[in-house]
Amino acid sequence: MDNVRELVRRFILDNFLPGEDASNLTDSTELKESGILDSMSTLKLVTFLESQYQVEFEADDLDAGNLSTVASIAALVTAKQRG
Amino acid sequence: MSSLLSPEQLRLQDAAFEFAQRLPADMIERDRSATFDRAGWQRCAEFGVLGMPIPPEYGGLGLGLSDLLAVMEGLGRGLRDQGLLFSLNAHLWTNSIPILRYGDEEQKQRYLKSLCDGSLIGANAASEPDAGSDIFSMRTRARRDGDHYVLSGTKTFVTNAPVADVFVAYATVNPALGPTGITAFIVDRDTPGLVIDRKLDKMGLRTSPMAQVVFDGCRVPVAQRLGREGRGVLIFECSMEWERGCILASCLGVMRRQLDECVAYARTRKQFGKPIGKYQSVANRIVDMKVRLETCRPLVYRIGALKDANQDATVEAALAKLHVSESFVKSCLDAVQVFGGYGYMTDLQLERDLRDSVGSTLYSGTSEIQRNIIARGLGL
Ligand SMILES: Cc1cc2nc3c(=O)[nH]c(=O)nc-3n(C[C@H](O)[C@H](O)[C@H](O)COP(=O)(O)OP(=O)(O)OC[C@H]3O[C@@H](n4cnc5c(N)ncnc54)[C@H](O)[C@@H]3O)c2cc1C
Repeated sequence: MDNVRELVRRFILDNFLPGEDASNLTDSTELKESGILDSMSTLKLVTFLESQYQVEFEADDLDAGNLSTVASIAALVTAKQRG
Repeated sequence: MSSLLSPEQLRLQDAAFEFAQRLPADMIERDRSATFDRAGWQRCAEFGVLGMPIPPEYGGLGLGLSDLLAVMEGLGRGLRDQGLLFSLNAHLWTNSIPILRYGDEEQKQRYLKSLCDGSLIGANAASEPDAGSDIFSMRTRARRDGDHYVLSGTKTFVTNAPVADVFVAYATVNPALGPTGITAFIVDRDTPGLVIDRKLDKMGLRTSPMAQVVFDGCRVPVAQRLGREGRGVLIFECSMEWERGCILASCLGVMRRQLDECVAYARTRKQFGKPIGKYQSVANRIVDMKVRLETCRPLVYRIGALKDANQDATVEAALAKLHVSESFVKSCLDAVQVFGGYGYMTDLQLERDLRDSVGSTLYSGTSEIQRNIIARGLGL
């Protein structure tokens, strides 16, 4: 789980927050409301996680609540891995 | 001027220029009557335009995007029918490319060959009466019903719709999900419930037909879904990235032709005993046209290089779209001014170029939306 969180954080920092101080993105930073994740970046992140962890997210999984923070995204990935 | 292109690409461009000059030149009448040139479409397909970026196993030529951009510039210089070029572009970037990148093997086998050889014409049904720039607020629904989806909703501004055989259409499987409910479909024209509602008449690009399309309980087999449920945004943005970056390559050719015509005219047209080009106000206007052309070309050819290297070009495509479209409108206006009253007359065909150009700051995302994309890329 901690590894998943770290990977999600890294991906967001590298791809959507270039130049941002890494300490500004915590596990509980609001990703949608703050505009860090829009629809396109959400789907890029999801596509990356699917190939990284061999899981599949359904459309209903991508509800804003499930993807609001690094912690909630990591929890979703972990739940999917457990099947 | 041409160092952006390899000798082979320059040869392709020259061949495209020569080919385009052999296409029918009866533009004034066809512009008035808003008539699409189906035969011209077929000849462009036979020339290879529609197959260039598609691999040979799917009926294409498997060439690079930079090669196609070079050809588009050549066509734009030689062909007066910007509407036809616009239709070809819409088909390539919103049908062929997304089907190539997101289609399953069966879909690729079924559609790509005919999209390359010109026998199928593609259209993109995304915009809605209330969802333009805010495209992902679209309301067209796709309800699952056994092994079909039932599409209901109205799409507008659909380029090629009156003549199209296949539509890449976007609809939401669940409005509560917002953008992540949006899903893409390949819809054949003869699917029951697909209605070409009303042809739309417009200011320019009049030979590129456009219509409003209604999905009235249109039953689309599940096998016609393009990509997975909820992944429509990825597919739409893929087609927009390619379209924004590439759709104005032909306009570079138009800008080049206008520049040549303006230089020639300014050297020969005399007023107050001197060629008008000797007046600095006139010369500077033409210099500005030259500066615009020279600054636009690298932005467009950079997209070719990025996509040929399989790299993301979201911001670069927005930069190209913004700068080229705004420059294009200004240069078309300048060309009319250099020719004076003659430039305003239909016969000279510069007034049509100007009308055709105005759409470029609107389609594939307005200039304001391109600026928003660039600002976001800057972290603003
Ligand atoms: C020639 C042509 C061909 C087209 N072909 C197709 C096609 O094949 N398929 C298809 O689906 N669509 C097509 N379109 C539609 C096109 O994509 C839309 O016109 C475009 O996205 C703008 O949407 P709108 O016209 O509803 O304007 P609106 O979104 O209503 O915009 C109105 C004005 O508000 C500005 N604005 C809106 N939101 C913002 C914002 N957030 N920030 C700053 N300014 C903003 C706009 O820039 C514009 O100036 C075509 C349009 C044209 C002109």
